[in-house]
Amino acid sequence: MNRFGLPDLGIGIGLRTVHFGEILSGRPALDWFEVLSENFMDTGGRPLFVLDQVVERYPVALHGVSLSVGSTDALDRGYLQKLKTLAKRTRARWVSDHLCWTGVLGRNTHDLLPLPYDRATLRHVTRRVKQVQDALERPLVLENPSTYLEYARSTMTEWEFLSELCDAAGCGLLLDVNNVYVSSYNHGFDSRQYIDGIPADRVVQVHLAGHTNEGTHILDTHSGRAIPQVWKLYERLVARTGPVSTLFEWDASIPPLAAVVREAAKARRYRTSARATGTDGA
Amino acid sequence: MAPELALGGLQQWLQVVIEAPGSVKTALRSREAARLVRPARTRDVVRPSHRGLSAAERVGIYQGMYLPRMMEALESDYEGLAHFLGPTAWTRLVRAYLSAHPSRSYTLNELGRRLPEFVRHARVPRAAFCYDLARLERAVAEVFDAPEAKPLTEKELAALRPRDLERARLVPVAALRLLVLDHDAGTWLDSLRGDAHAHPPVRRKRTRALVYRRRYGVKRREQAEAAFALLEDLVAGAPIGRALTRALARRGAARLAGADAAFRLFREWAAMGLFQGRARRSA
Repeated sequence: MNRFGLPDLGIGIGLRTVHFGEILSGRPALDWFEVLSENFMDTGGRPLFVLDQVVERYPVALHGVSLSVGSTDALDRGYLQKLKTLAKRTRARWVSDHLCWTGVLGRNTHDLLPLPYDRATLRHVTRRVKQVQDALERPLVLENPSTYLEYARSTMTEWEFLSELCDAAGCGLLLDVNNVYVSSYNHGFDSRQYIDGIPADRVVQVHLAGHTNEGTHILDTHSGRAIPQVWKLYERLVARTGPVSTLFEWDASIPPLAAVVREAAKARRYRTSARATGTDGA
Repeated sequence: MAPELALGGLQQWLQVVIEAPGSVKTALRSREAARLVRPARTRDVVRPSHRGLSAAERVGIYQGMYLPRMMEALESDYEGLAHFLGPTAWTRLVRAYLSAHPSRSYTLNELGRRLPEFVRHARVPRAAFCYDLARLERAVAEVFDAPEAKPLTEKELAALRPRDLERARLVPVAALRLLVLDHDAGTWLDSLRGDAHAHPPVRRKRTRALVYRRRYGVKRREQAEAAFALLEDLVAGAPIGRALTRALARRGAARLAGADAAFRLFREWAAMGLFQGRARRSA
Protein backbone atom coordinates (compact mmCIF):
# COMPACT_ATOMS: atom_id res chain seq x y z
CA MET A 1 0.00 0.00 0.00
CA ASN A 2 1.24 3.48 -0.88
CA ARG A 3 1.57 6.13 1.78
CA PHE A 4 -1.36 8.12 0.40
CA GLY A 5 -3.87 5.37 1.10
CA LEU A 6 -4.82 5.39 -2.58
CA PRO A 7 -6.35 2.05 -3.55
CA ASP A 8 -4.91 -0.72 -5.69
CA LEU A 9 -7.42 -0.58 -8.55
CA GLY A 10 -6.11 -3.74 -10.21
CA ILE A 11 -5.47 -4.01 -13.95
CA GLY A 12 -6.63 -1.31 -16.35
CA ILE A 13 -6.07 0.15 -19.79
CA GLY A 14 -6.27 3.61 -21.31
CA LEU A 15 -9.70 4.73 -22.54
CA ARG A 16 -9.29 5.21 -26.30
CA THR A 17 -11.81 6.44 -28.90
CA VAL A 18 -11.44 3.35 -31.11
CA HIS A 19 -12.72 1.17 -28.25
CA PHE A 20 -15.73 3.30 -27.27
CA GLY A 21 -18.22 1.04 -29.02
CA GLU A 22 -16.78 -2.19 -27.61
CA ILE A 23 -16.65 -0.76 -24.09
CA LEU A 24 -20.24 0.45 -24.15
CA SER A 25 -21.71 -2.65 -25.78
CA GLY A 26 -19.99 -5.11 -23.47
CA ARG A 27 -18.37 -4.99 -20.11
CA PRO A 28 -14.71 -5.77 -20.71
CA ALA A 29 -12.95 -7.74 -17.99
CA LEU A 30 -10.97 -4.83 -16.63
CA ASP A 31 -10.74 -3.29 -13.20
CA TRP A 32 -10.37 0.37 -14.17
CA PHE A 33 -9.64 2.90 -16.92
CA GLU A 34 -7.11 5.68 -17.26
CA VAL A 35 -8.50 8.75 -18.98
CA LEU A 36 -6.41 11.30 -20.90
CA SER A 37 -7.47 14.52 -19.21
CA GLU A 38 -7.02 16.88 -22.16
CA ASN A 39 -9.27 14.76 -24.39
CA PHE A 40 -12.27 15.41 -22.18
CA MET A 41 -11.76 18.91 -20.79
CA ASP A 42 -13.36 20.81 -23.65
CA THR A 43 -15.82 18.43 -25.19
CA GLY A 44 -19.53 18.17 -24.64
CA GLY A 45 -20.03 15.62 -27.38
CA ARG A 46 -19.73 11.88 -27.69
CA PRO A 47 -16.41 11.57 -25.80
CA LEU A 48 -17.94 13.07 -22.65
CA PHE A 49 -21.11 11.01 -23.11
CA VAL A 50 -19.00 7.83 -23.24
CA LEU A 51 -16.84 8.92 -20.32
CA ASP A 52 -19.89 9.51 -18.13
CA GLN A 53 -21.02 5.94 -18.81
CA VAL A 54 -17.56 4.49 -18.20
CA VAL A 55 -17.40 6.32 -14.88
CA GLU A 56 -20.68 4.67 -13.85
CA ARG A 57 -19.16 1.22 -14.45
CA TYR A 58 -15.47 1.52 -13.59
CA PRO A 59 -13.13 3.51 -11.38
CA VAL A 60 -11.01 5.97 -13.37
CA ALA A 61 -7.82 7.95 -12.87
CA LEU A 62 -6.95 11.07 -14.87
CA HIS A 63 -3.67 11.23 -16.76
CA GLY A 64 -2.51 14.46 -18.37
CA VAL A 65 0.11 15.43 -20.93
CA SER A 66 -0.01 19.24 -20.81
CA LEU A 67 0.52 20.27 -17.20
CA SER A 68 4.11 21.17 -18.12
CA VAL A 69 5.14 21.13 -14.50
CA GLY A 70 8.80 21.66 -15.34
CA SER A 71 8.30 24.66 -17.63
CA THR A 72 9.56 28.11 -16.71
CA ASP A 73 6.29 29.60 -17.99
CA ALA A 74 3.66 30.38 -15.39
CA LEU A 75 1.27 27.53 -14.59
CA ASP A 76 -1.93 27.67 -16.63
CA ARG A 77 -4.55 28.36 -13.96
CA GLY A 78 -7.42 27.90 -16.40
CA TYR A 79 -6.11 24.46 -17.26
CA LEU A 80 -5.83 23.53 -13.58
CA GLN A 81 -9.39 24.66 -12.92
CA LYS A 82 -10.71 22.54 -15.80
CA LEU A 83 -8.64 19.60 -14.59
CA LYS A 84 -10.12 19.94 -11.12
CA THR A 85 -13.64 20.10 -12.54
CA LEU A 86 -13.06 16.99 -14.65
CA ALA A 87 -11.58 15.14 -11.68
CA LYS A 88 -14.69 15.92 -9.67
CA ARG A 89 -17.05 14.89 -12.48
CA THR A 90 -15.28 11.57 -13.00
CA ARG A 91 -14.63 10.90 -9.31
CA ALA A 92 -11.01 10.36 -10.35
CA ARG A 93 -9.10 8.29 -7.83
CA TRP A 94 -6.00 10.38 -8.57
CA VAL A 95 -4.60 12.84 -11.11
CA SER A 96 -1.26 12.24 -12.81
CA ASP A 97 1.00 13.94 -15.33
CA HIS A 98 4.67 13.78 -16.31
CA LEU A 99 7.96 15.00 -14.93
CA CYS A 100 8.68 17.13 -17.98
CA TRP A 101 7.97 20.41 -19.70
CA THR A 102 6.00 20.78 -22.93
CA GLY A 103 6.70 24.36 -23.97
CA VAL A 104 7.75 27.88 -23.04
CA LEU A 105 6.97 31.43 -24.22
CA GLY A 106 3.29 30.52 -24.28
CA ARG A 107 3.77 27.78 -26.85
CA ASN A 108 3.21 24.05 -26.58
CA THR A 109 5.25 21.49 -28.52
CA HIS A 110 2.95 18.73 -27.24
CA ASP A 111 5.98 16.62 -26.45
CA LEU A 112 7.15 15.43 -23.04
CA LEU A 113 10.50 17.21 -23.01
CA PRO A 114 13.28 16.28 -20.57
CA LEU A 115 14.47 18.34 -17.64
CA PRO A 116 18.02 18.63 -16.38
CA TYR A 117 18.35 16.83 -13.07
CA ASP A 118 20.12 19.29 -10.79
CA ARG A 119 19.42 21.18 -7.59
CA ALA A 120 18.10 24.32 -9.26
CA THR A 121 15.60 22.34 -11.32
CA LEU A 122 14.60 20.32 -8.26
CA ARG A 123 13.76 23.52 -6.37
CA HIS A 124 11.84 24.85 -9.37
CA VAL A 125 9.79 21.70 -9.90
CA THR A 126 9.15 21.25 -6.17
CA ARG A 127 7.67 24.73 -5.96
CA ARG A 128 5.47 24.06 -9.01
CA VAL A 129 4.24 20.67 -7.81
CA LYS A 130 3.19 22.27 -4.53
CA GLN A 131 1.28 24.97 -6.45
CA VAL A 132 -0.49 22.33 -8.54
CA GLN A 133 -1.40 20.32 -5.45
CA ASP A 134 -2.77 23.43 -3.76
CA ALA A 135 -4.89 24.16 -6.83
CA LEU A 136 -6.15 20.59 -7.21
CA GLU A 137 -6.47 20.04 -3.46
CA ARG A 138 -4.98 16.58 -3.74
CA PRO A 139 -1.54 15.02 -4.19
CA LEU A 140 -0.19 15.10 -7.71
CA VAL A 141 1.10 11.81 -9.13
CA LEU A 142 4.07 12.26 -11.46
CA GLU A 143 5.27 9.86 -14.14
CA ASN A 144 8.90 9.29 -15.12
CA PRO A 145 9.19 10.16 -18.84
CA SER A 146 10.98 8.33 -21.62
CA THR A 147 13.89 10.53 -22.63
CA TYR A 148 16.16 10.61 -25.65
CA LEU A 149 18.76 13.08 -24.43
CA GLU A 150 20.60 13.92 -21.22
CA TYR A 151 21.80 17.37 -20.23
CA ALA A 152 25.44 17.89 -19.42
CA ARG A 153 24.45 19.96 -16.38
CA SER A 154 22.57 17.10 -14.70
CA THR A 155 24.12 16.12 -11.39
CA MET A 156 21.60 13.52 -10.24
CA THR A 157 20.10 10.37 -11.66
CA GLU A 158 16.42 10.46 -12.55
CA TRP A 159 15.49 8.18 -9.66
CA GLU A 160 17.42 10.35 -7.21
CA PHE A 161 15.67 13.42 -8.59
CA LEU A 162 12.24 11.78 -8.31
CA SER A 163 12.93 10.51 -4.79
CA GLU A 164 13.95 13.96 -3.57
CA LEU A 165 11.05 15.59 -5.39
CA CYS A 166 8.57 13.24 -3.76
CA ASP A 167 9.98 14.01 -0.32
CA ALA A 168 10.13 17.76 -0.87
CA ALA A 169 6.78 18.22 -2.61
CA GLY A 170 4.82 15.33 -1.09
CA CYS A 171 3.74 13.99 -4.46
CA GLY A 172 3.17 10.40 -5.63
CA LEU A 173 4.76 8.40 -8.42
CA LEU A 174 3.35 6.83 -11.53
CA LEU A 175 6.20 4.53 -12.41
CA ASP A 176 6.29 3.72 -16.11
CA VAL A 177 8.36 0.56 -16.21
CA ASN A 178 8.68 0.69 -19.99
CA ASN A 179 10.00 4.24 -19.71
CA VAL A 180 12.61 3.07 -17.20
CA TYR A 181 13.73 0.46 -19.72
CA VAL A 182 13.68 2.91 -22.65
CA SER A 183 15.70 5.55 -20.81
CA SER A 184 18.16 2.96 -19.46
CA TYR A 185 18.78 1.79 -23.04
CA ASN A 186 19.14 5.35 -24.30
CA HIS A 187 21.35 6.59 -21.48
CA GLY A 188 23.20 3.48 -20.36
CA PHE A 189 22.17 3.16 -16.72
CA ASP A 190 21.09 -0.01 -14.93
CA SER A 191 17.30 -0.23 -15.01
CA ARG A 192 17.31 -2.54 -11.96
CA GLN A 193 19.15 0.10 -9.96
CA TYR A 194 16.41 2.57 -10.95
CA ILE A 195 13.64 0.23 -9.81
CA ASP A 196 15.47 -0.44 -6.55
CA GLY A 197 16.16 3.23 -6.01
CA ILE A 198 12.67 4.72 -6.16
CA PRO A 199 10.65 5.13 -2.97
CA ALA A 200 8.25 2.18 -3.16
CA ASP A 201 5.68 3.69 -0.83
CA ARG A 202 5.24 6.65 -3.21
CA VAL A 203 4.22 4.46 -6.15
CA VAL A 204 0.51 4.90 -6.73
CA GLN A 205 0.33 3.48 -10.25
CA VAL A 206 2.39 1.63 -12.85
CA HIS A 207 2.44 1.94 -16.64
CA LEU A 208 3.43 -0.84 -19.02
CA ALA A 209 3.75 -0.58 -22.79
CA GLY A 210 5.52 -1.63 -25.94
CA HIS A 211 8.20 0.46 -27.68
CA THR A 212 10.19 0.71 -30.91
CA ASN A 213 13.88 -0.11 -30.93
CA GLU A 214 15.74 1.95 -33.54
CA GLY A 215 19.13 0.44 -32.66
CA THR A 216 20.84 3.65 -31.61
CA HIS A 217 17.90 4.50 -29.36
CA ILE A 218 14.44 3.33 -28.32
CA LEU A 219 11.31 5.36 -28.95
CA ASP A 220 8.43 5.16 -26.51
CA THR A 221 5.77 4.51 -29.14
CA HIS A 222 3.24 2.56 -27.03
CA SER A 223 3.04 0.10 -29.88
CA GLY A 224 2.65 -3.63 -29.50
CA ARG A 225 3.34 -5.84 -26.52
CA ALA A 226 5.76 -5.18 -23.70
CA ILE A 227 9.05 -7.04 -24.08
CA PRO A 228 10.14 -9.71 -21.53
CA GLN A 229 12.75 -7.39 -19.98
CA VAL A 230 10.00 -4.90 -19.13
CA TRP A 231 7.90 -7.62 -17.51
CA LYS A 232 10.97 -8.64 -15.49
CA LEU A 233 11.34 -5.07 -14.27
CA TYR A 234 7.65 -4.99 -13.41
CA GLU A 235 8.06 -8.16 -11.37
CA ARG A 236 11.00 -6.59 -9.56
CA LEU A 237 8.98 -3.45 -8.85
CA VAL A 238 5.90 -5.27 -7.60
CA ALA A 239 8.11 -7.29 -5.27
CA ARG A 240 8.90 -3.94 -3.64
CA THR A 241 5.55 -2.20 -3.82
CA GLY A 242 3.13 -5.07 -3.48
CA PRO A 243 0.12 -5.22 -5.80
CA VAL A 244 -0.28 -1.78 -7.29
CA SER A 245 -2.72 -0.25 -9.81
CA THR A 246 -1.33 -1.24 -13.19
CA LEU A 247 -2.21 0.03 -16.62
CA PHE A 248 -1.22 -1.13 -20.09
CA GLU A 249 -0.86 1.60 -22.74
CA TRP A 250 -1.34 0.88 -26.44
CA ASP A 251 -1.52 3.99 -28.64
CA ALA A 252 -0.11 3.10 -32.06
CA SER A 253 -1.88 0.71 -34.46
CA ILE A 254 -4.33 0.05 -31.67
CA PRO A 255 -5.77 -3.49 -31.94
CA PRO A 256 -9.29 -4.56 -30.93
CA LEU A 257 -10.08 -4.16 -27.26
CA ALA A 258 -9.70 -7.88 -26.49
CA ALA A 259 -6.04 -7.87 -27.56
CA VAL A 260 -5.20 -4.91 -25.30
CA VAL A 261 -7.10 -6.50 -22.41
CA ARG A 262 -5.19 -9.78 -22.94
CA GLU A 263 -1.84 -8.00 -22.81
CA ALA A 264 -2.83 -6.06 -19.70
CA ALA A 265 -4.02 -9.24 -18.00
CA LYS A 266 -0.47 -10.65 -18.10
CA ALA A 267 0.27 -8.34 -15.19
CA ARG A 268 -2.02 -10.37 -12.93
CA ARG A 269 0.42 -13.24 -12.49
CA TYR A 270 3.15 -10.88 -11.23
CA ARG A 271 0.74 -9.17 -8.89
CA THR A 272 -0.41 -12.53 -7.57
CA SER A 273 3.14 -13.70 -6.90
CA ALA A 274 3.85 -10.43 -5.07
CA ARG A 275 0.78 -10.99 -2.92
CA ALA A 276 1.85 -14.62 -2.30
CA THR A 277 5.25 -13.53 -1.02
CA GLY A 278 3.54 -11.12 1.33
CA THR A 279 5.16 -7.96 -0.02
CA ASP A 280 3.41 -4.94 1.38
CA GLY A 281 5.58 -2.23 -0.04
CA ALA A 282 6.64 -0.92 3.35
CA MET B 1 21.68 34.62 -13.34
CA ALA B 2 18.73 33.11 -11.45
CA PRO B 3 18.40 29.33 -11.75
CA GLU B 4 14.94 29.68 -13.28
CA LEU B 5 16.33 31.96 -15.98
CA ALA B 6 19.10 29.48 -16.71
CA LEU B 7 16.53 26.72 -17.05
CA GLY B 8 14.34 29.06 -19.07
CA GLY B 9 17.15 29.74 -21.52
CA LEU B 10 17.77 26.04 -21.91
CA GLN B 11 14.09 25.41 -22.57
CA GLN B 12 13.86 28.26 -25.07
CA TRP B 13 16.84 26.89 -26.95
CA LEU B 14 15.49 23.34 -27.17
CA GLN B 15 12.05 24.56 -28.20
CA VAL B 16 13.45 26.82 -30.92
CA VAL B 17 15.45 23.92 -32.33
CA ILE B 18 12.53 21.50 -32.15
CA GLU B 19 10.16 23.88 -33.92
CA ALA B 20 12.61 24.85 -36.65
CA PRO B 21 12.11 23.43 -40.15
CA GLY B 22 14.87 21.60 -41.98
CA SER B 23 17.64 19.43 -40.60
CA VAL B 24 18.68 19.60 -36.98
CA LYS B 25 22.03 21.05 -38.04
CA THR B 26 20.23 23.89 -39.77
CA ALA B 27 18.00 24.32 -36.75
CA LEU B 28 20.95 24.53 -34.37
CA ARG B 29 22.52 27.17 -36.61
CA SER B 30 19.37 29.30 -36.82
CA ARG B 31 19.88 32.81 -35.49
CA GLU B 32 17.45 32.37 -32.61
CA ALA B 33 18.97 29.06 -31.48
CA ALA B 34 22.59 30.16 -31.93
CA ARG B 35 21.89 33.27 -29.83
CA LEU B 36 21.20 30.94 -26.89
CA VAL B 37 23.69 28.15 -27.58
CA ARG B 38 26.43 28.37 -30.17
CA PRO B 39 26.21 25.29 -32.43
CA ALA B 40 29.77 24.27 -31.57
CA ARG B 41 28.78 24.19 -27.89
CA THR B 42 25.84 21.81 -28.33
CA ARG B 43 27.74 18.99 -26.64
CA ASP B 44 28.33 21.23 -23.63
CA VAL B 45 24.55 21.28 -23.19
CA VAL B 46 23.57 17.77 -24.29
CA ARG B 47 25.70 14.69 -23.69
CA PRO B 48 26.48 12.46 -26.66
CA SER B 49 24.95 9.01 -26.25
CA HIS B 50 26.86 5.91 -25.22
CA ARG B 51 25.39 4.30 -28.34
CA GLY B 52 27.16 6.69 -30.68
CA LEU B 53 24.59 9.44 -31.22
CA SER B 54 26.04 12.94 -31.17
CA ALA B 55 24.47 15.65 -29.05
CA ALA B 56 22.90 17.15 -32.18
CA GLU B 57 21.48 13.79 -33.24
CA ARG B 58 19.88 13.33 -29.84
CA VAL B 59 18.22 16.74 -30.12
CA GLY B 60 17.26 15.71 -33.64
CA ILE B 61 15.12 12.85 -32.27
CA TYR B 62 12.82 15.41 -30.68
CA GLN B 63 12.99 17.77 -33.65
CA GLY B 64 12.13 14.97 -36.06
CA MET B 65 8.95 14.08 -34.19
CA TYR B 66 7.54 17.61 -34.02
CA LEU B 67 6.20 18.08 -37.54
CA PRO B 68 4.68 14.56 -37.89
CA ARG B 69 2.91 15.02 -34.55
CA MET B 70 1.41 18.34 -35.59
CA MET B 71 0.50 17.03 -39.03
CA GLU B 72 -1.29 14.08 -37.50
CA ALA B 73 -3.27 16.40 -35.24
CA LEU B 74 -4.25 18.68 -38.11
CA GLU B 75 -5.11 15.78 -40.40
CA SER B 76 -7.57 14.47 -37.85
CA ASP B 77 -9.58 17.68 -38.34
CA TYR B 78 -8.69 18.44 -41.97
CA GLU B 79 -8.60 15.05 -43.65
CA GLY B 80 -10.30 16.43 -46.78
CA LEU B 81 -7.97 19.39 -47.16
CA ALA B 82 -4.89 17.20 -46.66
CA HIS B 83 -6.19 14.77 -49.26
CA PHE B 84 -7.06 17.49 -51.74
CA LEU B 85 -3.63 19.13 -51.51
CA GLY B 86 -1.60 15.92 -51.51
CA PRO B 87 1.45 15.22 -49.31
CA THR B 88 3.83 17.83 -50.72
CA ALA B 89 1.52 20.84 -50.70
CA TRP B 90 -0.08 19.77 -47.42
CA THR B 91 3.31 19.47 -45.69
CA ARG B 92 4.35 22.87 -47.03
CA LEU B 93 1.09 24.40 -45.82
CA VAL B 94 1.41 22.86 -42.33
CA ARG B 95 5.00 24.08 -41.98
CA ALA B 96 3.97 27.62 -42.90
CA TYR B 97 0.92 27.47 -40.65
CA LEU B 98 2.87 26.23 -37.63
CA SER B 99 5.42 28.93 -38.16
CA ALA B 100 2.65 31.56 -38.09
CA HIS B 101 0.43 29.87 -35.51
CA PRO B 102 2.32 27.47 -33.23
CA SER B 103 0.19 25.70 -30.66
CA ARG B 104 -0.58 27.93 -27.70
CA SER B 105 -3.08 25.68 -26.03
CA TYR B 106 -2.93 22.66 -23.74
CA THR B 107 -5.03 20.79 -26.30
CA LEU B 108 -4.21 19.91 -29.90
CA ASN B 109 -7.90 20.35 -30.72
CA GLU B 110 -7.22 24.08 -30.86
CA LEU B 111 -4.26 23.81 -33.21
CA GLY B 112 -6.28 24.05 -36.41
CA ARG B 113 -8.62 26.86 -35.34
CA ARG B 114 -6.99 29.44 -37.61
CA LEU B 115 -6.21 27.17 -40.53
CA PRO B 116 -9.25 28.13 -42.67
CA GLU B 117 -8.35 31.81 -42.63
CA PHE B 118 -4.68 30.97 -43.15
CA VAL B 119 -5.30 28.76 -46.17
CA ARG B 120 -7.43 31.46 -47.76
CA HIS B 121 -4.32 33.57 -48.27
CA ALA B 122 -1.80 30.75 -48.61
CA ARG B 123 0.03 29.72 -51.77
CA VAL B 124 -1.95 26.56 -52.42
CA PRO B 125 -3.73 25.32 -55.53
CA ARG B 126 -7.38 26.42 -55.66
CA ALA B 127 -7.06 28.49 -52.47
CA ALA B 128 -10.72 29.61 -52.58
CA PHE B 129 -11.91 26.01 -52.66
CA CYS B 130 -9.42 25.05 -49.93
CA TYR B 131 -10.85 27.85 -47.80
CA ASP B 132 -14.37 26.46 -48.17
CA LEU B 133 -13.23 22.91 -47.53
CA ALA B 134 -11.32 23.97 -44.42
CA ARG B 135 -14.24 26.01 -43.09
CA LEU B 136 -16.56 23.06 -43.51
CA GLU B 137 -14.15 20.66 -41.81
CA ARG B 138 -13.55 23.09 -38.95
CA ALA B 139 -17.31 23.40 -38.45
CA VAL B 140 -17.58 19.61 -38.25
CA ALA B 141 -14.82 19.52 -35.60
CA GLU B 142 -16.48 22.28 -33.56
CA VAL B 143 -19.91 20.69 -33.73
CA PHE B 144 -18.45 17.33 -32.66
CA ASP B 145 -17.19 18.82 -29.39
CA ALA B 146 -19.92 21.39 -28.70
CA PRO B 147 -21.90 21.07 -25.46
CA GLU B 148 -24.94 18.81 -25.59
CA ALA B 149 -28.40 20.34 -25.06
CA LYS B 150 -31.89 18.89 -24.93
CA PRO B 151 -33.47 19.90 -28.22
CA LEU B 152 -36.86 21.50 -28.70
CA THR B 153 -39.27 18.81 -29.88
CA GLU B 154 -41.81 19.14 -32.68
CA LYS B 155 -44.53 18.80 -30.04
CA GLU B 156 -43.11 21.62 -27.95
CA LEU B 157 -42.84 23.79 -31.02
CA ALA B 158 -46.42 23.04 -32.05
CA ALA B 159 -47.57 24.02 -28.56
CA LEU B 160 -46.48 27.61 -29.11
CA ARG B 161 -49.58 29.76 -29.45
CA PRO B 162 -49.88 32.09 -32.45
CA ARG B 163 -49.65 35.21 -30.28
CA ASP B 164 -46.46 33.80 -28.68
CA LEU B 165 -44.91 33.15 -32.06
CA GLU B 166 -44.80 36.83 -32.80
CA ARG B 167 -42.39 37.56 -29.98
CA ALA B 168 -40.82 34.20 -29.19
CA ARG B 169 -37.21 33.53 -30.06
CA LEU B 170 -35.76 30.13 -30.79
CA VAL B 171 -32.48 29.38 -29.05
CA PRO B 172 -30.11 27.39 -31.26
CA VAL B 173 -28.15 24.48 -29.84
CA ALA B 174 -24.39 25.00 -29.51
CA ALA B 175 -23.80 22.12 -31.93
CA LEU B 176 -24.96 24.04 -35.01
CA ARG B 177 -23.01 25.94 -37.65
CA LEU B 178 -24.39 27.72 -40.74
CA LEU B 179 -22.00 28.20 -43.63
CA VAL B 180 -22.31 29.93 -46.97
CA LEU B 181 -19.71 28.45 -49.31
CA ASP B 182 -18.67 29.39 -52.82
CA HIS B 183 -18.01 25.76 -53.73
CA ASP B 184 -19.80 22.49 -53.13
CA ALA B 185 -17.23 21.38 -50.58
CA GLY B 186 -19.72 19.01 -48.97
CA THR B 187 -20.00 16.81 -52.05
CA TRP B 188 -16.23 16.76 -52.33
CA LEU B 189 -15.92 15.65 -48.69
CA ASP B 190 -18.53 12.94 -49.26
CA SER B 191 -16.38 11.57 -52.07
CA LEU B 192 -13.68 10.69 -49.52
CA ARG B 193 -15.90 7.91 -48.18
CA GLY B 194 -15.22 4.45 -49.47
CA ASP B 195 -12.21 3.34 -51.45
CA ALA B 196 -13.11 4.73 -54.88
CA HIS B 197 -12.27 8.36 -54.07
CA ALA B 198 -14.00 9.52 -57.25
CA HIS B 199 -13.81 13.21 -56.50
CA PRO B 200 -16.11 15.61 -58.33
CA PRO B 201 -14.45 18.41 -60.27
CA VAL B 202 -13.93 21.58 -58.27
CA ARG B 203 -16.20 24.31 -59.52
CA ARG B 204 -17.83 27.38 -58.10
CA LYS B 205 -21.30 26.87 -56.75
CA ARG B 206 -22.93 28.91 -54.01
CA THR B 207 -23.85 26.40 -51.30
CA ARG B 208 -25.59 26.89 -47.99
CA ALA B 209 -24.69 24.22 -45.49
CA LEU B 210 -25.92 23.28 -42.04
CA VAL B 211 -23.60 21.33 -39.79
CA TYR B 212 -25.34 19.90 -36.75
CA ARG B 213 -25.31 16.94 -34.41
CA ARG B 214 -27.89 14.27 -33.77
CA ARG B 215 -27.38 11.54 -31.18
CA TYR B 216 -23.71 12.55 -30.96
CA GLY B 217 -23.16 12.04 -34.69
CA VAL B 218 -22.20 15.09 -36.80
CA LYS B 219 -24.46 15.65 -39.85
CA ARG B 220 -24.26 17.97 -42.83
CA ARG B 221 -27.10 19.16 -44.99
CA GLU B 222 -27.48 21.61 -47.82
CA GLN B 223 -30.30 24.13 -47.39
CA ALA B 224 -32.18 26.12 -50.01
CA GLU B 225 -31.58 29.87 -50.05
CA ALA B 226 -34.92 30.95 -48.62
CA ALA B 227 -34.88 28.41 -45.81
CA PHE B 228 -31.26 29.23 -45.01
CA ALA B 229 -32.02 32.95 -44.77
CA LEU B 230 -34.89 32.28 -42.37
CA LEU B 231 -32.71 30.01 -40.25
CA GLU B 232 -29.92 32.59 -40.18
CA ASP B 233 -32.37 35.17 -38.83
CA LEU B 234 -33.61 32.79 -36.15
CA VAL B 235 -30.11 31.78 -35.12
CA ALA B 236 -29.15 35.45 -34.93
CA GLY B 237 -31.93 35.88 -32.36
CA ALA B 238 -34.72 37.44 -34.36
CA PRO B 239 -38.23 36.83 -32.96
CA ILE B 240 -40.07 34.20 -34.98
CA GLY B 241 -42.66 36.68 -36.21
CA ARG B 242 -40.10 39.14 -37.52
CA ALA B 243 -38.01 36.40 -39.13
CA LEU B 244 -41.12 35.06 -40.89
CA THR B 245 -42.17 38.47 -42.13
CA ARG B 246 -38.72 39.04 -43.57
CA ALA B 247 -38.65 35.57 -45.16
CA LEU B 248 -41.94 36.18 -46.93
CA ALA B 249 -40.94 39.67 -48.08
CA ARG B 250 -37.60 38.72 -49.70
CA ARG B 251 -37.25 38.72 -53.46
CA GLY B 252 -36.36 35.93 -55.84
CA ALA B 253 -35.00 32.61 -54.61
CA ALA B 254 -34.55 34.03 -51.12
CA ARG B 255 -38.32 34.41 -50.72
CA LEU B 256 -40.13 31.73 -48.76
CA ALA B 257 -43.16 30.24 -50.55
CA GLY B 258 -45.56 30.89 -47.69
CA ALA B 259 -46.28 30.45 -44.00
CA ASP B 260 -47.05 26.74 -44.49
CA ALA B 261 -43.57 26.23 -45.93
CA ALA B 262 -42.14 27.98 -42.88
CA PHE B 263 -43.95 25.71 -40.46
CA ARG B 264 -42.83 22.66 -42.42
CA LEU B 265 -39.29 23.92 -42.00
CA PHE B 266 -39.77 24.52 -38.28
CA ARG B 267 -40.93 20.92 -37.86
CA GLU B 268 -37.99 19.67 -39.90
CA TRP B 269 -35.48 21.71 -37.91
CA ALA B 270 -37.04 20.54 -34.65
CA ALA B 271 -36.65 16.94 -35.85
CA MET B 272 -33.01 17.71 -36.62
CA GLY B 273 -32.55 19.08 -33.10
CA LEU B 274 -31.37 22.52 -34.16
CA PHE B 275 -33.00 24.43 -31.30
CA GLN B 276 -32.81 24.02 -27.57
CA GLY B 277 -35.70 22.72 -25.56
CA ARG B 278 -37.34 25.99 -24.78
CA ALA B 279 -38.27 29.12 -26.63
CA ARG B 280 -37.67 32.36 -24.78
CA ARG B 281 -39.98 35.30 -25.16
CA SER B 282 -38.37 38.57 -26.01
CA ALA B 283 -38.46 41.33 -23.39
